[in-house]
Amino acid sequence: MSGETPLKMTGVSKWFGSFQAVRNLDFEVPKGSIVGFLGPNGAGKSTSLRMALGVLSPDRGDVKLLGAQPNLESLKRVGFLPEERGLYKKMSPRQIITYFARLKGMSHRDAKARADELLDMMGLGEFGRSRVTKLSKGMAQKVQILSALAHRPDFLILDEPFSGLDPVNQQALEDLIIDEHKRGATIVFSTHVMEHAERLCEKIVMMARGRKVFDGTLEDAFTALGRAVHIGASDGFDMTAAMAPAGFEAQKDGDHWRIGLKPTQTSQDALRAAIDLGAPITSFTPQEARLRDVFVSLVSEAEAQDLTDTLAADDADGRDAA
Amino acid sequence: MIRSTYLVTRRDYLGYVSAWGFWLGLLFTPIILGIFVLAPTFAQNAQPTRYFTVIEQGTTFTEALRDNLSGSDARMARAMLDPLAVVEGTDSEKVAAFDAAIESGASVTAAFAQAGGDPVTLPRQDFVEVDPPVSSGSELAPYLLGEILVATPEGPQPLFAALVVNDASGEIEYWSENLQARTLISAARQAENDLQLDRALAAVNVSREVLSQARDAQRDVKQQRVRIGAEADIETEVTQTDRAPFVVSIMMAFSLWFLIFSVINYLLMGTIEERSNKIFDSLLTSVKLPHLLAGKLLAVLLLALTLMAFWGIGSGLMTWFMRESIPADVAKGLGSLVTAAANPALFVPAIISFVLGYLMYGALFLALGSLCDTIQEAQTLMTPLFVTLMAPLAMLAFAIQDAESALIEIMAWVPFFTPFLLILRMPTEPPLWEVLAQLGIMALTTLIILHLATRVYRAGAVHGAGVNDVWAFFGKLIPGKKSSA
Repeated sequence: MSGETPLKMTGVSKWFGSFQAVRNLDFEVPKGSIVGFLGPNGAGKSTSLRMALGVLSPDRGDVKLLGAQPNLESLKRVGFLPEERGLYKKMSPRQIITYFARLKGMSHRDAKARADELLDMMGLGEFGRSRVTKLSKGMAQKVQILSALAHRPDFLILDEPFSGLDPVNQQALEDLIIDEHKRGATIVFSTHVMEHAERLCEKIVMMARGRKVFDGTLEDAFTALGRAVHIGASDGFDMTAAMAPAGFEAQKDGDHWRIGLKPTQTSQDALRAAIDLGAPITSFTPQEARLRDVFVSLVSEAEAQDLTDTLAADDADGRDAA
Repeated sequence: MIRSTYLVTRRDYLGYVSAWGFWLGLLFTPIILGIFVLAPTFAQNAQPTRYFTVIEQGTTFTEALRDNLSGSDARMARAMLDPLAVVEGTDSEKVAAFDAAIESGASVTAAFAQAGGDPVTLPRQDFVEVDPPVSSGSELAPYLLGEILVATPEGPQPLFAALVVNDASGEIEYWSENLQARTLISAARQAENDLQLDRALAAVNVSREVLSQARDAQRDVKQQRVRIGAEADIETEVTQTDRAPFVVSIMMAFSLWFLIFSVINYLLMGTIEERSNKIFDSLLTSVKLPHLLAGKLLAVLLLALTLMAFWGIGSGLMTWFMRESIPADVAKGLGSLVTAAANPALFVPAIISFVLGYLMYGALFLALGSLCDTIQEAQTLMTPLFVTLMAPLAMLAFAIQDAESALIEIMAWVPFFTPFLLILRMPTEPPLWEVLAQLGIMALTTLIILHLATRVYRAGAVHGAGVNDVWAFFGKLIPGKKSSA
């Protein structure tokens, strides 16, 4: 792959009738990275990815795929696993992988050899010549993934690749993604299962209600949420008042106190301060930052913002009507 | 484009021909058509002989009925000896020999053999007369109900019908439990007609021979046509060769209709399968939509050509192997048809019509298939198209009577019918500008339909538009009606 950015979307919006599925989306996939495209159902992930591939045209904004508007030449260097899974039921896995590899430009002989290689690699060799209808759902999904990467694409776009797979196959797919990355491929995958993104991604893009709500590294995501420790204290002790002079912000959170940590503070600093202040400590739990928490927090904010926008728009309509 | 279209065509074509349903259709269609053509003969031969009796004081009506029934057998035998000559009323050596033998008192079977026919091929007699088992109509009931059998040359059999000539009332009664069979009652009416004619002639002292003489004196009305140019030296009488282009055009139009009707379902089914299998996104990131559609249309076109080639070669081989047993006049007729079919004035418009007609209807079916998840959904959209496709078939009936019918001439301007009706018009040598204009309008309509079909296909494949969106679209076209979609 030459030096071009695999994917760059600038100010992209998409409407379906009066419903705006994607709102002013900007993001970039750096070459050689693994990017997680996260968001709840209906966030606009699949629509964004379909626009990235030129399947859908954006109503506003610009999409550059491998340095150009999506076209058949650039798409030959892209492998795509759509969200909606489907295979030709009357064909064999070997025929399907060969067919899609040939559509992407491989010769008949190379495509067949590659299909055999991939099927063996994924433990599907013995089913290579069976009809797809004889495969389990997981096997069929693997076949579709293999069809997407058979032509050794420079850029892999996987829409919800883990959905429908059992834990063993999810692990196998993670390994496959890592192998493709090692081969040099840039990878974007969408998911709403945060653990996969935590394990695989260098960069995260989060969407909610058609908006991008986060774009950065994993560390940036954890920073955005903020770190904290949970300290339990005997009844009657006011941690807020006690910790404030030491520069800590404490909030009552159920039967314990949540102490927020600034970037320069560690959990040990908070514990030491509480002991020094004579707090009757009954428990101490450093809060581990998880992507799930970042996700829930950002999505909630986005939904709240969306609700605010909707109410403001309704108010405006009401005023206009009056 | 060529490569991706080729790959789509190859996949779809191999998918179709590897399905057992295709081979079943390929092999069974000629068999079913053959059965359809031969069914009346089979049915006639399979029908058991029916026994009837006549109760009459005397034999006048009975004789007239016997003459009529044997005359009917004779007409059948004449038609079998030379069908074309009998239908067109032209001279035929075989028919003349048969008539001469009958005239000299030979039975139908003997006359048929003398005229060169094989009596084995003659159909069995439908009705055989037996002696009346009783003397009055009031006693017939147990025989007609099958409770008592009558004596026949084949042993005791049920009585099918009885004709009772009632001199007192002056009526002829036809008794039978079978209310649908009309042959015998028609023969009885004709016999009574002949009988009364004979009596009327006798009353004025005119012999029936006069009618025969008048028939013999009839002059043949020979169909002629003006021949000019290279044909100026040929006899002006219309021959099989003259009629061959009309026959061929009807065969071609029917073949085109039949092929389109046969293969169009493959496009529909293939598209519905891809939509229900949710495979469009994978395809559309690998091949451009117009190339995908072109590949699909080509695949089914190849399928149609495969059918044509298979049936054509099969017919050719059968004809070749049976060439020794084909009568000379039939061989000559076949030769005329082949010569007519090879005429560029007929086959060039036929090929263009076939390709454009196929693309027009194929694109429509492809587009509508992309909107449907199931066959049931498709059926609601396909009905208007199937009705449109049936109209040209009805036109074929008109063309058989009169290829220059004003109806065909007008309907040929409707682009959806042009592919079939233009072929029917070609033997009438329409003005060149009309042919070119109709081909042009058909080509333009095909292009418009291809363009619209691409848009509908995109709506179905990419945006998931469905049958309800189609109804919503038509709903918007109704003035004053608000669509909920």
